[in-house]
Amino acid sequence: MANLKEIKRKIGSVKNTQKTTNAMKLVSSAKLKRTEELAKRSRVYAAKLTELLNEIAAKMQQSNADGIDNAYFKDVPNPKKVDIIFITADKGLCGGFNSQTIKRAKILIDEYKAEGVKVRLRAVGRKGIDFFKFNGIELNDEIIGLSAAPDFKAASEFISEVAESYVNGDTDKIILIHNGYVNMITQEVREEQLLPVDTSKLELNSVSTSELEVEPDDDDTLLDALVKRYVEYTMYYSLIDSLAAEHSARMQAMDAATTNAKEMVKELTVKYNKARQESITTELIEIISGMESMK
Amino acid sequence: MELMKLEIITPNGVIFDGDVKQVTLPGSEGEFGVLAKHATLVSLLETGVIVYERADDREVAVAINSGYVKVDEEKTTCIVDGAVALSGEDSDISKAIEAAKTLLKSTESSSSAIASAVAKVEQIGKSF
Repeated sequence: MANLKEIKRKIGSVKNTQKTTNAMKLVSSAKLKRTEELAKRSRVYAAKLTELLNEIAAKMQQSNADGIDNAYFKDVPNPKKVDIIFITADKGLCGGFNSQTIKRAKILIDEYKAEGVKVRLRAVGRKGIDFFKFNGIELNDEIIGLSAAPDFKAASEFISEVAESYVNGDTDKIILIHNGYVNMITQEVREEQLLPVDTSKLELNSVSTSELEVEPDDDDTLLDALVKRYVEYTMYYSLIDSLAAEHSARMQAMDAATTNAKEMVKELTVKYNKARQESITTELIEIISGMESMK
Repeated sequence: MELMKLEIITPNGVIFDGDVKQVTLPGSEGEFGVLAKHATLVSLLETGVIVYERADDREVAVAINSGYVKVDEEKTTCIVDGAVALSGEDSDISKAIEAAKTLLKSTESSSSAIASAVAKVEQIGKSF
C-alpha cells in the first residue's frame, strides 16, 4: 500500500511540474512574438546604417590609397589587447542557449591567450557572469538586467565607454559575441568584430559613379558620428537578437519538458494501475485462503 | 516631373518608402532640396522637418530629431533616430503635432534649430 501512495504522490508532483513548464512555454511564446516584432523593425534600420557606413568607408578607401585615416578604422595587424563582450541571459531554463555562448567565448579567449594577447572580458547577463566567476576568471564589466530588457540608452552608454577605451588605445580590438535568433527553432552563435570597423569585407556595389560629397566636409565629423551610431546600434540590436533567441530557446526547452512530463505521467499511471491490481489480487487471495481454511 | 525613391527609416520602423517628386532636408550645414538625379551626397541631419512632395502633388512633413541622409541619383535614404509623420486625419493631426513637438524638444541640438523646427511644425498644424 505504501508503494501505491508513493506513486500517487509522484504523479501529482510531475503533473505540477508539467503545469509550470507549460505556463513558462506560453509566457515565452508571447514574449517571443513581441521581441520578434521589435527585432524585425530594428533590423531594417541596422541594415541601412551598416550599408551607409560601408558605402562611405569604401568610397573613402578608394580615394585614399593608404586606407582610411580615422581612428575607428585603423586595423591593428597584431592586436595586443582585445576586449570581448558577450551577451547571455539573466535566467536559465532555456536549454543550451547560455552554454553555447559561453563555450564560444571560452574558445575565443583560449585562442587569444595562446597567442599571448591580453583579453578583457565584459559580460552582459547574469548567467555568463556566474559562470566565469565560478571558474575564477576575472571580468572587467558585469551588467545585469540589460539582456532581459534591452534599452537603447543603457546599451549605448555601456558601449560608448568601451568604444572610448578603444579610441584611447586601451584596447586594440572589440569583439561582440551573442546567441542570435534564426527562427522559432534555431539559434546561432554570432561573433562580430565591432571595432575597428572591418574594412576587409567592404565592397562597393553602388550604381552611382559621381564622387561622394560629404557634409560637414571635414571627413571625421560625419564618419565619427556614423561609426558611433553604428556601434551603439549594433550593440542594441545584438541585445534584442539575443533576447529573441533566448525566448525561442526557452520555448523549445519548455515544450520538450512538458512533453517529457506528459510521458512520465503516462508511465507512472500504468505503474500505479499495476500496483493497485496487484494489491487487490493479494487481498483476494488472502480472503479466499482464509475462507478455505475455515471449511 | 521625374520621380525618385525616398526612404525614411527609424529604429522603430520605416516611416516612408515610396516615390516622390522632391524632398527638402534639414542638413547640418543648412536646409537643402533634392530632386531626381542629384549627385551623390552624404550629410548629417539636424533637428528639423523633412518635407517631401508625393507623386500626387501632396506635400507631407516629417519631424525628425537627428540622423543621416544619403543621396544618390536614384534614391534618397534618410536614417533618423526619431521621426513623427505630420499627416493623417484631422483627429490624428493634433496628436501628431504634439508628439512631434515633444520629439523636437527632447534633442540636444542648438535651441535655435529646435525653435525653428517647432515653429514649422506649428505652421503645418495650422494649415490643416
